[in-house]
Amino acid sequence: MNEQILYKQYLDTVLAYFRRFIDLSHEEFDLIAPFFEIRKFDKKTKVLKTGETDGYFNIIMKGLARKYLMVNKKEVTIQLSTEGHMIHSEISFNLQKPSDCIIEAIEPVTFLSMSHANIQMIYEKLPQTEKLGRMIITEMFIKKDQRDFKQLNKTTRERFLDYMHDHPDMLQRVPQKYLASYLNIKPETFSRLKHLLRPKRNVPVKEG
Amino acid sequence: MQNLYEYIRQFADVTPEEFGRMAELLETVHVGKKHILTQRGQVEKYLYIINKGLARKFFYKNKEEIVTQIAKENDLVCSSVSFLSQKPSDYVVETLEPCTLIALSFENMEKMYSWGPHMNRLGRLVTLDWLLQKEIWEHDRLRHEPRDRFIRFMNENNDLVQRVQQKYLASYLNMKPETFSRYKHLLRG
Repeated sequence: MNEQILYKQYLDTVLAYFRRFIDLSHEEFDLIAPFFEIRKFDKKTKVLKTGETDGYFNIIMKGLARKYLMVNKKEVTIQLSTEGHMIHSEISFNLQKPSDCIIEAIEPVTFLSMSHANIQMIYEKLPQTEKLGRMIITEMFIKKDQRDFKQLNKTTRERFLDYMHDHPDMLQRVPQKYLASYLNIKPETFSRLKHLLRPKRNVPVKEG
Repeated sequence: MQNLYEYIRQFADVTPEEFGRMAELLETVHVGKKHILTQRGQVEKYLYIINKGLARKFFYKNKEEIVTQIAKENDLVCSSVSFLSQKPSDYVVETLEPCTLIALSFENMEKMYSWGPHMNRLGRLVTLDWLLQKEIWEHDRLRHEPRDRFIRFMNENNDLVQRVQQKYLASYLNMKPETFSRYKHLLRG
């Protein structure tokens, strides 16, 4: 598809998202839209490395990315995100300090991104966006807390089944070791749990 | 109230006049030690700033209490997700010492937001601060060895060792109470 048409579609998606929070006219949105950038990364690219300061707030338009921490030389996956979701280092981006986590493309990804400087500029120039920012951050905070809470209070089996139920395509798209790490399940246990996903075979009814 | 004004000014330029209007919407509350400010299942009505005293926030993982915040003077405390979403709280907020609190109700917060972008900016930055505290708390628990967590925390909150029961500090730092006791020798000298 033509890049220009795609870009327009991406912006329409973002406008619809913003309108969940505030009344925003097309004219107002047109003042913000030019500050969105399209950023594309190949599979396996590290979009953000440890020690770098995260300059961008990203919304995934296409593809899949993960965020992880290095803990004793082991990778601990803390976020897996697909189309329509945001991914950035909250701490590094907002405090403009070096990141302790890594963001990596698992599939080729297209981000619609806005730089930290441009977001600050928009808050200054269009103060009505303060409310939008407040509400987006509030929603991020609530969702994160709810997810963490569920994860903590569920058994391994429940975490596995609930996640696969809510994200049926992820098993095809994400290497198992990342899924296992994200769900805090040992890789061996994860493999074992997969049998739970196979549909039960129908027992043929004999006629006659 | 001066403390609160200082707290707010970390986040946004609020004039004394604006602060005066805000102050009219705040209530002062006195409660005893071990007072439950918010119970699990209850919708959080207030955001508190501690003027005097100590409080903790925790949740139950099965039967175990997991402490996620220990708040002292000039800290904000409340079941923040319940407050923002106005849904039942997963957390319990309890005082550890007799407390003087300054309370802002959800309705009054909404009223402040209707005053315009300035107040929304303040709300955005305070909410962001909560989100970041949560991220930092989680990353610390994942990344740092118990010994490092202990030393970092004690360097920043030396006064709390005297004021807070060890089991709560240990839970906050995600370590067994025995481990916490063992690390205390690191503080001497």
